[in-house]
Amino acid sequence: MWHYYLMLSLRSLKRSPTLYSMVILTLAIGVGALASNMALYQSMAADPIPEKSDRLFHVSLNSWPDEDSPHQQPLFVTRYRDAQQVLSSGIPTKVVAHYQTRVYTKSLDAKSLTRFAADTRATTPDFFALTNAPFAYGRSLSSAEGNEVVLGSDLNDKIFGGSNSVGKAVEIEGKPYTVVGVLKPWTLRPRFYHMEQDSAFRPTDDLFVPLETAIDNNWGVNGRSSSVDYSGDMASSRPHNRFYLSLWAQLDSAAQQDSFQQYLDNYSQQLKDAGEHPLAINNELKNVHEWADKLKVVDQRLLAFSIATMLFLIVCVFNASSLLLAKYHDDKSEMGLRRALGASRNQLFRQGFVEAMLVGSIAGSLALLLSWLFLACSVVLLPNLKAIAQLEPAVLGQGFAIALLTALLSTGYPLWRANRASISAEMK
Amino acid sequence: MLSMQNVSRIYRTETIQTHALNDFSLSVNAGEFVAVTGPSGSGKSTFLNIAGLLDQFDEGEYSIDGVSVKGLSDNQLSRLRNEKIGFIFQNYNLIPDYSLFDNVDMPLRYRGFNGKERKRRIEEALEKVGLASRMNYLPSQLSGGQQQRVAIARALAGEPKLLLADEPTGNLDSLMARQVMELLHDLNKDGATIIMVTHDPDQARSVPRNVQIIDGQMTDHRVYQPQSVSASVESEAELA
Ligand SMILES: Nc1ncnc2c1ncn2[C@@H]1O[C@H](COP(=O)(O)OP(=O)(O)O)[C@@H](O)[C@H]1O
Ligand SMILES: [Mg+2]
Repeated sequence: MWHYYLMLSLRSLKRSPTLYSMVILTLAIGVGALASNMALYQSMAADPIPEKSDRLFHVSLNSWPDEDSPHQQPLFVTRYRDAQQVLSSGIPTKVVAHYQTRVYTKSLDAKSLTRFAADTRATTPDFFALTNAPFAYGRSLSSAEGNEVVLGSDLNDKIFGGSNSVGKAVEIEGKPYTVVGVLKPWTLRPRFYHMEQDSAFRPTDDLFVPLETAIDNNWGVNGRSSSVDYSGDMASSRPHNRFYLSLWAQLDSAAQQDSFQQYLDNYSQQLKDAGEHPLAINNELKNVHEWADKLKVVDQRLLAFSIATMLFLIVCVFNASSLLLAKYHDDKSEMGLRRALGASRNQLFRQGFVEAMLVGSIAGSLALLLSWLFLACSVVLLPNLKAIAQLEPAVLGQGFAIALLTALLSTGYPLWRANRASISAEMK
Repeated sequence: MLSMQNVSRIYRTETIQTHALNDFSLSVNAGEFVAVTGPSGSGKSTFLNIAGLLDQFDEGEYSIDGVSVKGLSDNQLSRLRNEKIGFIFQNYNLIPDYSLFDNVDMPLRYRGFNGKERKRRIEEALEKVGLASRMNYLPSQLSGGQQQRVAIARALAGEPKLLLADEPTGNLDSLMARQVMELLHDLNKDGATIIMVTHDPDQARSVPRNVQIIDGQMTDHRVYQPQSVSASVESEAELA
């Protein structure tokens, strides 16, 4: 019987091509706008590391030496000596200090002089275990010092053609560094370990180097760096009030969190007692979600826009429904005839359901095509959106389901109305 | 076959209420051919619609083939319509963009027959009305009389116990009307129970049993001896 219903639905579409085109287009535009928005929203609001996003904490430490800080306190970056103190607490399961820099590099053996620009993470070794960075080859850095490096997938492709380059060497500023690991392609949306200053949807880094090595080499900070009293080079900045390191800790239990918080507060209090800062004790541990919220990773305008697209979709459903109301009104006598000849109301409802599914499927496919086009266009206009303007399978599925639902909603009332009267009245 | 006891049907609008059928009783046995006559607006269609389960009634009892229809669900009523009743309308009610085959097919689909069974029944029914060779025509390619014969084929294909016809010749010229009448008489001879509404007294007289409705009530009820009208119809049809 479903096969018959499908055939009737196709005939029905063929009978009123203009009307159905309008219905389908109306629904497709409404669903398409919503799906594009959902795609943006979902990548912004996505959990980049669901297995432990509630156990990874960004550490903000309050140690700014002046009463009137130019920044909101606690500052999200720390001094070298504060970071060392935090790294040595022994409390977190894992703890990392890192900053972003940028170097130019090539294979040590390469005859060509071409060097590749590499967004570089200068970090302590726990970084890889803490962020669950996926290794294709080799291992993580063994120390915060020394001449080891880990390559991101893209850079390994550029320098070594994607081969297993573990054991080979790259050259940076004339010095050799040994490759100890290569990552698989690694997308983090958002890039939780570095979301500050609107960089949440930047790609993960190309190159990972030991923290101390980067500082010794004067590799500059490619991010927030604040200082009250220091303007010298990186290498001699260690004892000074230069704030630039991001701190992350993995804290697996509430007890661990408490004692770590206590540790930070004690440290901050000691500094205050020693007259190093005048501020109230205010150290924050924010897990990945809380940190993303605080940094407003999900654009609030997008939320407002989402509500607008939802309202727009409702308007579209009303429009489609009123078009279908006219169509079902015209079909009343045929439906009456079908019932007179033995179709039950239920059978006609099923027929209408199949037709709605057909219309919804076409509208859904068109909607997804439209939203793909829309996202592609927005990337052309705003290249920054590249990382978030993605149609994930989940969004595709949801968009399609919404299209089916809107088609059902649009059909429901007209169908019910057309089947309400007695058969003899319908056939008049 | 069909039994109505004190059936009333009242149409209410905001300003008036109409007793379209008023305390109406009628029994029809299997194999009978009944003509229903009466002035326009007297309740003939209302009676036929109730008989065909296309309309509800307000009071009284109605049973068809021994089944009382009171309190039956929409599904059960549809089933009865589909299996026991064949309906023929004044304006044929064919679906214009369906071929004759698909038009006759429609009630069989809801019956749930398989493709082979449907095909057999469609061909047989169209054969009976003399249109088997035009299975793939559209209704618009036929004359009015032929269209009505398709509608009769559609009613017959389900092999119903009861054929209900509401002015089946009302839109036809006299020759085509006679052909349709002849077909109905033949079907009746083959055992079909038929109730037909007509405004044509001659036509009514060719039918063995007559019922007259005025103002929703039965006013006259007579049984004729079968006449030879159908015989004269045949000779005229042959001339055509
Ligand atoms: N759906 C309806 N609503 C209101 N009045 C109706 C309706 N159908 C029929 N009637 C009224 O009921 C009466 C009988 O109608 P009907 O059975 O169609 O008469 P007939 O077929 O004998 O011409 C008429 O007065 C008609 O106006
Ligand atoms: Mg009438």
